[in-house]
Amino acid sequence: MSRARNRNYRQRVDQALASPRLQQALHSFGDAYVVARENAFAGLDFEAMRQEIGAMKDRVREQRQELVAEFTRNAEAAGAKVFVARTAEEANRYITDLAVAQGVKKVAKSKSMASEETHLNRALETAGIETLETDLGEWIIQLAGQRPSHMVMPAIHMFRDEVAALFSKVTGKAESDDIQHLVRVAREQLRQGYFEAGMGISGANMAIAETGGIALVTNEGNARLVTTLPKVHVALVGLEKLVPTLEDATKVMRILPRNATGQLLTSYVTWIRGAVPCADGDKELHIVLLDNGRSALAESPQCRDALRCIKCGACANVCPVYQTVGGHVFGHIYISAIGVILTAFFHGLENAADLVQACIGCRACVAVCPSDIDLEGIILHLREVLGEEEGIGVGKALVFKHIMRNRKLFHSMIRAASLLQKPVTRGERSIRHLPLFFSSLTEWRTLPAIAEKPLRDSWKTLPQKVENPRYRVAFFAGCLNDFVYPEMGYDLVKVLNHLGVEVLFPKEQNCCGVPALYSGDRETAVALAEQNITAMLADQPDFVVTTCPTCTMSLQRDFLELLKDNPVWADKARQLAAITIDVSRFIVDVLDGRAVFAEESVREKVTYHDSCHLKRGAGVWKQPRELLAGSGHAVVEMAHSDRCCGFGGSYSFSSHPDIAKHILNDKVLDIEATGATCVAMDCPGCIMQIRGGLEKQEKSVRAKHTIELLAESLE
Amino acid sequence: MLKRFTEALSKVGGQAAEVATVGEAAAYIAGHVNGTVLLPSQPSLERIALAAELEAAGVKVVRESWREHAAAANAGVTGVNFALADTGTLVLESTAEALRLATTLPEVHFALLDPGKLLADSLAAIPYLRGFHERAPRNYLAYITGPSRTADIERVLTIGAHGPRQLHVLLMPGLSTDFYEL
Repeated sequence: MSRARNRNYRQRVDQALASPRLQQALHSFGDAYVVARENAFAGLDFEAMRQEIGAMKDRVREQRQELVAEFTRNAEAAGAKVFVARTAEEANRYITDLAVAQGVKKVAKSKSMASEETHLNRALETAGIETLETDLGEWIIQLAGQRPSHMVMPAIHMFRDEVAALFSKVTGKAESDDIQHLVRVAREQLRQGYFEAGMGISGANMAIAETGGIALVTNEGNARLVTTLPKVHVALVGLEKLVPTLEDATKVMRILPRNATGQLLTSYVTWIRGAVPCADGDKELHIVLLDNGRSALAESPQCRDALRCIKCGACANVCPVYQTVGGHVFGHIYISAIGVILTAFFHGLENAADLVQACIGCRACVAVCPSDIDLEGIILHLREVLGEEEGIGVGKALVFKHIMRNRKLFHSMIRAASLLQKPVTRGERSIRHLPLFFSSLTEWRTLPAIAEKPLRDSWKTLPQKVENPRYRVAFFAGCLNDFVYPEMGYDLVKVLNHLGVEVLFPKEQNCCGVPALYSGDRETAVALAEQNITAMLADQPDFVVTTCPTCTMSLQRDFLELLKDNPVWADKARQLAAITIDVSRFIVDVLDGRAVFAEESVREKVTYHDSCHLKRGAGVWKQPRELLAGSGHAVVEMAHSDRCCGFGGSYSFSSHPDIAKHILNDKVLDIEATGATCVAMDCPGCIMQIRGGLEKQEKSVRAKHTIELLAESLE
Repeated sequence: MLKRFTEALSKVGGQAAEVATVGEAAAYIAGHVNGTVLLPSQPSLERIALAAELEAAGVKVVRESWREHAAAANAGVTGVNFALADTGTLVLESTAEALRLATTLPEVHFALLDPGKLLADSLAAIPYLRGFHERAPRNYLAYITGPSRTADIERVLTIGAHGPRQLHVLLMPGLSTDFYEL
């Protein structure tokens, strides 16, 4: 990894974190967005709509050559010229040459991310042509000499006083920072530009093969002026914007504004086909279809779903990392989750390297993507590629390859660490301060001590009192439950025994492999998957029960993917996936065990934190709430209950502890606001993070796993 | 369906008014305009002789040399091909440049719509969208939903950006039944 690149990136992270105004703005925007979006989809089946978009876009990818030919034929029959640009340079050269040949001195532009992608303004200005951005947000950042920090709202990072200062420079007088007034100023200042421009440049949201026309989805009205007044119109359109028919285009139109801004429809949808009338003659229309890495993306089986993107920007709106650092950090030209992927293909892996690590993996984006893209999955793949290209670091490589894969060595080293930590734990379960180089690790959260005796070592002495068990289940504990929180295992046995279930602990189980996989070491992840499959299936259990949803996702999803092409292992991986289940769901859905915990009097006011991999991975969120409410707890909902806590495994230790800290603080505030005395969750990773934050800030709120509260209720 | 349309229109900041006669339409426009009005040639509006009525109501009407007058005009007046109830959207076949100038540059857009020309939503509009493409080789079609807007400064919704700042939809029964006619 390039050190200079990383240093520069770290500086930008620090700058963003030092700007609470930006974070507050992005947080309140995110909150308002969720509400507006929900209203916009009222009465509609988002899931069905997005699957339809995804399937349609996949057809477009498969048939792209035919569709480009059809689009070109129809557009040219209507008097347009179509040029397919293989690279950004080709696109810029075509447009610049055209402008020079036509004697254009000034171009008026409406918003186009494709032109940001190719740095078109720079190319035009180098050729001596003035460029005028007419979208309000784009004009603001043009005046500020910046780049967009959001795909739909380019100047979302700026404030009214900053805009007023920029506009004052243009008008030569002090402009008030009243927003209505500033919008007025922009309207008046940009007016003349449309008339003076010899060329209008737009993007397009859809390019419709059936008609050879393009469609623009806009709000401000400037795109209509840009495509009407100048004599020449150039539309720069990414190849992924192709859709086969008007039906397909209408479907994109129905989902795009709803998901982008929570609008049922934007003020304007403009359908343009061919050289329409302009002044006394016809318009000259050029459509530049931009490849610039899209064909390469289409050829990547792991990443190609990213071509389904309709550029709504929702993945940024809901992203806790974006809300914390903004698009100038978590983005290159394209921002947020989709930006990570598009940057890798359009602007090179080098420019995407830091962004690939900046994703915390919470899958909030996946839940709202209107094209059904598994953004997190693709980012993980890119992390693997990067691991192979640049290495994952000597330390990590050593740990994963030589220690983790050797279970006995790995586990004896954790046991040794349990002894070594004694000077800092002072015999307590939480580490509040660490000395010297490690002090930053406990600056904002306490860390749990490694247990004196891991769960595996005390298993034999755990009494199991089940006659004629209903089920025999194997417990996959995961590293945290095994070595850090063995008491959760005791509670699991207690609760499941009470429900007539016998629990086995296969000793050969090892780390689920997520830390290696998420760091880009696929080889170690495969080795661990094989070890764990053998271990967990050995006793032929009825179910494999987990307390950690990240382990659940690993056993249910990642093992399948890692071993799908291996004839020896693929079937076993399927067997394991089919019987793996998290403990809350097991108790509710399989055992129908709610009644066992019934309690009349109120035990405690509890709020529930949805762990990312449990809710958006395993699809479980109702069951733990039912169990808590059913066992006599007053369950109060916190705001943003399913927002990531900022743990993210190594994300909060080594890769981005500074961002993780901010995300945790948001969570602590949300928990505190409920007035609950206990926050429940179903993930030991979240417990480590949230309990650590609560303890460090000396809050009197307990952080507990649902299984622990159920065990308490049996006492 | 009409109720749905007017509710949706009002949610996006547009205003609906019912007018029974061309005289009422002209009076409404005269009461809401503050300067010159662009009136491109459109069959439904010519049939009801709107231009003469507007002039009789004291409105200065521009009917030619569009580019020269458009920037300074206060309002544009158009018919509507048809409208979409669920989103409050007006569909205007705007290939003739005068129609685009009248609906982009002025501050106010008055649109006369026969309330019989309503479709449930954009999916129902697809056959007509295709029809427009079949009837003419080149097209500039506009779906207009409320006045222009922006939220580009601090995400504060501001009505009236670069396009019209006001949109008045005059609902006039008997104006036109043809979805391809403006």
